[in-house]
Amino acid sequence: MNTIDDELWSAIGDPTRRRMLDLLLAEGAGTATSLSARLPVTRQAIAKHLGVLDRVGLVHSAAAGRERRYQVDEAQLARAVAQLASVGSAWDARLQRIKRIAEAIQRANDERQSN
Amino acid sequence: MKSMELGTIEREIHVDASPEVVFDVVSRPEHISEWWSDEATLDDGIGELVWGERVDVQQFSVVTAEPPRLFAFRWAYPDGKFDAEAAALLVTFELTPSGTGTKLRMTESGFREMGWEAAKLEEMYNDHVTGWDHFVPRLGEYAGRLASS
Repeated sequence: MNTIDDELWSAIGDPTRRRMLDLLLAEGAGTATSLSARLPVTRQAIAKHLGVLDRVGLVHSAAAGRERRYQVDEAQLARAVAQLASVGSAWDARLQRIKRIAEAIQRANDERQSN
Repeated sequence: MKSMELGTIEREIHVDASPEVVFDVVSRPEHISEWWSDEATLDDGIGELVWGERVDVQQFSVVTAEPPRLFAFRWAYPDGKFDAEAAALLVTFELTPSGTGTKLRMTESGFREMGWEAAKLEEMYNDHVTGWDHFVPRLGEYAGRLASS
């Protein structure tokens, strides 16, 4: 993992920033003002978080009147997705699937033997 | 059961299936593609996990395969390509008979070696407990959309 990946990881490690990404994905785009209306965080704090997301390339922005309008960067988000898949957070789901598959095979084997 | 020494993820579950069956599920590519990646291959100890239309491809290398009690492999190589010299995550499945089923213990280690700081690991773990559940499904859904577009 290089430094950029580390920063990317850190950027999405914050719950407020993840909720902001969720909102931006759901709504297509947003400004610090529109996001602060939806989250229990000040506009200033939102602006700071947007700066962090911008630096790692998870969002990009364009001037919109007196504000900047932010959108999620699809390619960078795809990279973050790949990284999330490479850490342990997904193991619970994987293990539940392993359990389900193994138990289904076992049941099928048992039925075959009893027939 | 959950625990996390910084740098290691550990899980333990009970499976109502014999160790032989569980071993097949954790180690055979036709099953790995059911519980992990979209597609999986394994050839001569080196495997490939593929997501989407090869949106993400991760090679893995089998370290130990002792049916039906131990299966271990390394993955998350730089750029997803097997490199015996590079730091990579080590995943170990230990299988122990338990009643009519199997106790399956999974550990994943090597995060620290890959340069993730302890503080971030702790944050990641806490986030996992409190907040990942919402975001990860959304990301997965989004990745699916990207892959199919």
